[in-house]
Amino acid sequence: MSEISGAAPRPFGDLSAAPAPRGLRHAPLDRFFLPFAVGPTFLVMLAIFGLPLLFSLWLSLTGWSPQQGLFGGAYVGLANFEDLLSDRVFMGSLGVTCGFTAAAVSAQLLLGLGIALLLNLDLPGMRIFRTALVLPMMVTPIVGALCWKLLLDPHHGVVNHWLGTRIVWLGVPETALIAVWLVNVWHSTPYVALILLAGLRSLPHEPHEAAGIDGASRWQVFRHVTFPLLQPFLLVALLLRTIFEFRAFDNVYAMTGGGPANATMLLSMFTYLTSFVRFDFGLGAAAAWLMLLMSMVMCLLFIALLRRRGPR
Amino acid sequence: MAAVTGSRRARRIHAALAYLALSALVVFFLFPLLWILGLSLKTRAQTFADAPVWLWWPTFEHYADVLFRKDFLKAFLNTLIVSGSAVVLSLCVGVPAAYAFARFPFRSSSFLFFSLLVMRMLPPVAVLVPMYVILSDIGLTTTHLSVVLAYTTFSLPLVVWVMRGFFDDLPVEVEECAWIDGATRRQAFQRVVLPLARPGMVASAILCLQLAWNDFLFAAVLTNNDTQTLPVLMAGFTGGDSGVDWGPMTASGVLVILPVIVFSFMAQKHLVAGLSSGAVKG
Repeated sequence: MSEISGAAPRPFGDLSAAPAPRGLRHAPLDRFFLPFAVGPTFLVMLAIFGLPLLFSLWLSLTGWSPQQGLFGGAYVGLANFEDLLSDRVFMGSLGVTCGFTAAAVSAQLLLGLGIALLLNLDLPGMRIFRTALVLPMMVTPIVGALCWKLLLDPHHGVVNHWLGTRIVWLGVPETALIAVWLVNVWHSTPYVALILLAGLRSLPHEPHEAAGIDGASRWQVFRHVTFPLLQPFLLVALLLRTIFEFRAFDNVYAMTGGGPANATMLLSMFTYLTSFVRFDFGLGAAAAWLMLLMSMVMCLLFIALLRRRGPR
Repeated sequence: MAAVTGSRRARRIHAALAYLALSALVVFFLFPLLWILGLSLKTRAQTFADAPVWLWWPTFEHYADVLFRKDFLKAFLNTLIVSGSAVVLSLCVGVPAAYAFARFPFRSSSFLFFSLLVMRMLPPVAVLVPMYVILSDIGLTTTHLSVVLAYTTFSLPLVVWVMRGFFDDLPVEVEECAWIDGATRRQAFQRVVLPLARPGMVASAILCLQLAWNDFLFAAVLTNNDTQTLPVLMAGFTGGDSGVDWGPMTASGVLVILPVIVFSFMAQKHLVAGLSSGAVKG
């Protein structure tokens, strides 16, 4: 077993850098190469990302309306955060988002693993299947949601026609949530499948051959050889999908708008509606900051994973 | 001999089961798209027939209708302008930085590198709230520039991460020759490295273009009727009830996703690396 993990592949991009060349003479102008190369990126990041996020913290402590200047809001302390935590819609939205993310990510991982294993089989025609199966992830999310909205249409939708029902899928809390979940699974599973397929392709052959010679069954080979070797890739897919499902927005916006009865009110949708429909920028910024903190935790986990597993 | 044919038979059954499962999956993943394509080629009567029509002579009336609609053409042009500019801006700013990260690690370079990743992964709506307030204070909302700046929040990190992977794979010896010949770092970068990195630049440009083309949230908040992009136009269709005319809606949907599918297939080799922020090389 230790040999297998010792031969584990290195799936991650090479994060170590080539050593800086020394001992070569450079023109004086060349000393500024580094600042010139990195400076613009740093400035753009600061301008469109760093400063807005800091400003957002200020917004959450004050508030803003289109009539006043940037710093015109009155300081209210943590009142916006207190309002948020006592807001039943927000707390409900927090629950819906966590449940939705867990359900969507686990379905994507299971289905994606199945697809990857099938596509990894050495059979003719797999390229065509691969092409057909990755198509949904390339589709503009809003258009994908629109496709499904027409399929699920209560009067002329083909789903109701097949089932012989007249269910208003997007008008009932339970079915609406399931429909949004289904569309997310449809759209993002191919992406998980591609990551895992890349993983399967990079696995070493020797452990599988050894297991085959030792007379292991297909299931045993999968359970004790493939699965452990594939784990780093599963972890990458899990974390990435969690980060991206946590911020899901387009499908919900196009299909339900957060309704019915806030059943599909994901946090992104809540923040959007609070800020850009109710124009309560103080509360919106507070919600945005809470979202930021939560996804920051997941991002740091992902980065820790990248650094730990990186070759070094 | 009997054992061999037996295992061959078992293998055939396995293969048949695999094809069956794959076909079922293809139906689930492709049917919605094919159905929309079908709807866009049906007349109004066929679309709203009591039982779905499976065989019909395709009509292109909706495509003709959409392609001559001013709002569609305008949105198409806006999408091209905005996503093209975001890609160009991100490439110009990001490629030298990616090169520096790959070749000349400096103090706090890995902090900067990973904060770019954070920028790519944090919820866009959280960045959008303060960005909207600042841009509207300056009076920049509803301009193309505001959307381009917003798109840079995800395309710049993407360019830096994907390009760094390419530069890492490029042998250092290439530049070392140039340096020994007396070229400065900048000259070596411009004349030797950049031409070699062109395939990488094309790939990252396509990946950025795909993300920008598909974005809805930023464009929905930062544009108006004059500057709206295609996804925003499409969302306008979905707002209505089933009374909406499905023909033009599905036809424009097909026209929106067609270019992005073509781009994506062009960059298929790099899709995994790009979308996993370089965590997995495809």
